[in-house]
Amino acid sequence: MTTTEASVTKDLFGPVEADNSESEKISGESISAWKDAVRRFVTNKGAMASMIIIALIVILAIIGPHFFGYGTDDQDVSRANLPPKIGALTWIPAFSGQEGGVDIYKEKHITTNYWFGTDQLGRDLWTRTWNGTQISLIIALIATLADVLIGVVYGGVSGYFGGMVDNVLQRILEIIAGIPSLVWIILLILIMQPGLFAITVAILATSWLSMARIVRGEMLKLKNQEFVLASRTLGASDGRIIFKHLIPNSIGMIIINTMFSVPSAIFFEAFLSFIGLGIRSPQSSLGSLINDGYQMLQIHPYQTLYPGIIISLLLICFNIMGDGLRDAFDPKLRR
Amino acid sequence: MGRYILKRVGYMLVTFYVVITLTFLSMKMLPGTPFKFANRLTPEQLNQLKHYYGLDQPIPVQYLHYLWNMLHGDLGGSFQYGMQPVTEFLLQRFPISMELGIESMIFGTVLGIVLGIISGIYRGKFLDWGTVTLTVLFISIPSFIFAAILQYFFSVKIQLFPVIGWDSPMTHVLPVISIGVGVMASIARFMRTEMVEVLNQDYIVTAQAKGLSTVAVIYKHAIRNAMIPIVTVIGPMTAAVVTGSLVIENIFAIPGIGSQFIDAIVTNDYPMIMGTTELYAALFIVTILIVDILYGVIDPRIRVSGGKSS
Repeated sequence: MTTTEASVTKDLFGPVEADNSESEKISGESISAWKDAVRRFVTNKGAMASMIIIALIVILAIIGPHFFGYGTDDQDVSRANLPPKIGALTWIPAFSGQEGGVDIYKEKHITTNYWFGTDQLGRDLWTRTWNGTQISLIIALIATLADVLIGVVYGGVSGYFGGMVDNVLQRILEIIAGIPSLVWIILLILIMQPGLFAITVAILATSWLSMARIVRGEMLKLKNQEFVLASRTLGASDGRIIFKHLIPNSIGMIIINTMFSVPSAIFFEAFLSFIGLGIRSPQSSLGSLINDGYQMLQIHPYQTLYPGIIISLLLICFNIMGDGLRDAFDPKLRR
Repeated sequence: MGRYILKRVGYMLVTFYVVITLTFLSMKMLPGTPFKFANRLTPEQLNQLKHYYGLDQPIPVQYLHYLWNMLHGDLGGSFQYGMQPVTEFLLQRFPISMELGIESMIFGTVLGIVLGIISGIYRGKFLDWGTVTLTVLFISIPSFIFAAILQYFFSVKIQLFPVIGWDSPMTHVLPVISIGVGVMASIARFMRTEMVEVLNQDYIVTAQAKGLSTVAVIYKHAIRNAMIPIVTVIGPMTAAVVTGSLVIENIFAIPGIGSQFIDAIVTNDYPMIMGTTELYAALFIVTILIVDILYGVIDPRIRVSGGKSS
């Protein structure tokens, strides 16, 4: 090192001619906030893997029930309680069609394979599981819509108009939020007959609260900024300011919050179905399947296993994706 | 501060009144009758029964009657158990649920804080990665699935713990873990964020510059400050514990309010449903109130800016 240092002499240095036009040049393309978020999200391996798994589950939920041509409620007691068997995978103990070392399929002289096995009424669990997944996904979709439609509008109006309107809307919200959502949901489900519709209304009624709060906060922060004033000076209406300026600027927060309301909606449906207040037989949902299988847990654990795995996977993936989106849209919140 | 507390208590009472009214109204809109063999009774018998339980009076009268009795701690009699007072049932079962809840909270909070601190200190290292993965799993997997897994492996397969019940300390282990891991995961996550933030503060650098050992910096400066906001998660946490205990009590056959509640819903036991709902709501509302006030006491910055802004 010392020898090379000695060979560097002062006269080797000289000023660089600075070209004025160079300093005005922007190197690299300009990136919008949206593009930036997408770029950050794509590099997040966990979030991308979760997205792929969710996509797979969605596809299976759509095509899965039609694989074998059984209906959700096709009962046949002669094929009851068959363990899972997949032709090509019989070397894996979990898919060998054996239970306690006995090949149940041989014993009952059944030649068709049931991939997830059958329940105590002989219904094909593969069909029922993917049907149940459909229900969970529908509920997730509804929760998202409720969040966006009710939550954003309520919070937007409350935050933007302020004053008396805000005061009234906030007091109402405070009272609604003061009651635990579990109590809301159970009361609503008691009044209506348990089922998809009741669960939907119940989740609609409670899931938008946090979104309304967050959007209101964003509105309060944004509405006094210069670009809003500029727009108003140019004669823009309230609606235009809200939908063209304020909401697009808070879209990051809205997306993040939506992503977190999806798993909680899926959880609530499963929870309600599990305690018997949700989807009821013959319809299936992941929660009710787990409940049915739970009765047989000690003898036939596979009946709980697959619905349990799928709902856990869905919840885990939605949570990881939510974390990924939060990091992508709001790097300040990166944890 | 005094005014703030007064205002909060006022809101609390309004909220609670709304809960009572809503519960009452929804009970009146319920389909089905609370009588076991209603279709076998003659209309006269049915009317007699309705008269006996006060169900033949106009709804506003029933409502006022209910409110008046409630002020005296009388929640009516359970239809299902021959008019035994609901209050008695709740008082009998409440301590069990409370025990389960408190044990789960302690288990979850202590472990969560420890995990969060470790994760925050070793940010980006293997330990941190492990903790973060674990928290995502525990936040996502529903408590009843977790309970079923635990029950299957630890009670049925290796028979280490009893399958159901609530008497010896051994019976407490699995239910407490089932509810507690969710609490643990949320708190660990929150604690980690706080730790990371606090460790980046200037006063930590100052403490290090003074020559304090790493242990002293973390223990005396970082952890203490990171702990303050934990109080805020405890409120929402209670809701999660209540939801959790509802199913967990059912799974492990624990004679608390949760299993009673599910029972009451199935049998249309109106007074019992109302009583339990109100108890849950009261618990929730009071916890949030205490947390808000506590937070104001612990962190002076909030008092200055005039109450929590939410």
